[in-house]
Amino acid sequence: MNRRLLIIFLLVTVGLYAWPAYEWLFAGNDSNTFVAAPVSSSITPDASFIHREFINADSGSGMVHVGSICELPQGRLAAAWYGGSREGAQDVAVFLSVKGSGDAWSRPQTVVDRVSASRELSRYVKKVGNPLLFSDPGGRLWLVYVTIAVGGWSGSSLNITWSDDGGSNWSKSQRLTLSPFFNISELVRNRPLPLSSGGFAVPIYHECLGNFPEILWLQSRSNSPEVHFKKSRMTGGNSFIQPSVVVLSPSAARAFYRCRSYEKAIGTAITNDTGKNWSELQTLSLPNPDSALDALLLSDQRILLVFNDSTANRENLRLAVSHDQGRHWTRIATLDSEPRGEFSYPYMIRTEDGRIHLVYTWDRKRIAHVVFNEAWVDAQMEGTRK
Amino acid sequence: MTTWAFSFVFPFLLVIAVLQQVTIRSGRDLRGWGSALVLGLISAGIVAIPVGDWPLARWMISFNANFSIPLTAILFAKVVEPFFGIKLLDDRAFLTCWIFSIASGAALYPMALGLSDLDPYAAGWEFSWLFVLMFFLTVVLLVMKNRFSLVGIAAILAYNLRLLESTNLWDYLVDPFLVVTACIAIVCRVRRNAQLEKRARGNQ
Repeated sequence: MNRRLLIIFLLVTVGLYAWPAYEWLFAGNDSNTFVAAPVSSSITPDASFIHREFINADSGSGMVHVGSICELPQGRLAAAWYGGSREGAQDVAVFLSVKGSGDAWSRPQTVVDRVSASRELSRYVKKVGNPLLFSDPGGRLWLVYVTIAVGGWSGSSLNITWSDDGGSNWSKSQRLTLSPFFNISELVRNRPLPLSSGGFAVPIYHECLGNFPEILWLQSRSNSPEVHFKKSRMTGGNSFIQPSVVVLSPSAARAFYRCRSYEKAIGTAITNDTGKNWSELQTLSLPNPDSALDALLLSDQRILLVFNDSTANRENLRLAVSHDQGRHWTRIATLDSEPRGEFSYPYMIRTEDGRIHLVYTWDRKRIAHVVFNEAWVDAQMEGTRK
Repeated sequence: MTTWAFSFVFPFLLVIAVLQQVTIRSGRDLRGWGSALVLGLISAGIVAIPVGDWPLARWMISFNANFSIPLTAILFAKVVEPFFGIKLLDDRAFLTCWIFSIASGAALYPMALGLSDLDPYAAGWEFSWLFVLMFFLTVVLLVMKNRFSLVGIAAILAYNLRLLESTNLWDYLVDPFLVVTACIAIVCRVRRNAQLEKRARGNQ
């Protein structure tokens, strides 16, 4: 290498590293903050209200699992889940159902299965899994879902697709590379948090050598068909996954975790810098039988938690409320309870009319949908005091 | 589209390398443009053959979508040498690559897979200490006239062009196959040196 060539290569190196530095300084380093859930002035109708229904017909000998729900324009709702002959089977598909105001849930339609995922991702897909459905303020419907090429859940990778027509047509799926080790062991399950930039912080988790929660930072740009993303870790270790995050202020949030360790208790941590750093993990006094849970902020800053109130099984699904940002809890209601039943994977949202929508797996046969308002929560609280 | 097209490069080079070994074992001479063209065309045909729903190359991508640039560069250098007798990467560059790969793999994989609270993989999403480190490493290797510096330049070029599916710089620098290859190469090297030393002692 002569002197002139060396100088050329040095200049090329400087130029090639200057580009990402420039992008970081001037383009991509926006200061994101959390966006609190919108609260409508028409929130909280007077009367206590609760309504229960099923979204899908009984799956018979098959199974359904991992439901999520979101609000569409004009007060419509959309829900997604996966179903098939059994968990992890090759015939598992992700289903979508939509409900207009006052209407019944539509007949479930397949959004993605292993064949369509293989075609869109242009690679072998053995099976599909956990879907997460959410919408952005522009009405775009997003679906993050799991695909597996080899092995079980620890072989999972995440993919994303979206729909601009309420779920009738979907974009070509995009693979999200999130792990350096064959891009495996990344899963999704919990409600995303909207960001001030228009993006989302999506709680995800890793299940391989370690079991730990992470945040997937998603950002779509209107003039680009590609989704930009990065990932950060909430904590390491081998004990806590499936973070459910409640936004307390533009920079503060509290996460609640499913517990995989012998402690059998719900884990929690807080952030005060918009998810960049998380506090040491602590456990709540509430049990957890290695099962998903979900938390939601109410309009008066109380936190509502839905969880399996057991250290051993998923035979009940209970609600609890905290007045002090998650430190202490009061059990207020049992939504379902049956010996040898399974009521699991709860997922809650609050719609613009102030109602709380909860979907969960009902005995692996159906996706249950429970709607209630804060007056009902208050009434349950009153009931526990008497 | 660029990413999709580039996903054929590593499988293409791998098939050529296999074909070269077969040809060499059959006693044929590989030198010259003719052999390169013939094996290149055969390899292109093989990786483009639809097997089921996709070309063969995409099957390989199903299980690992991000073959790192150093691994691709090593394979390219190994493929070019028998055809043209040119050593694109000399012995010093290979040794640097093995050390770099083992060090990167040791720093990245255990922590990224959860064996600590730190996640070095996060440094690859946007400009960070990793970029600064790689910049200075590349400059130092350039000044030392180590050819592995060119692989470093190729890696950051590929990252800027988003040639891999990944948008994380780590995936352009290292992959599990590279780390395994580096470990095997280092073990072989140590054994070879030990044998040479033994032989030298025997001759004394």
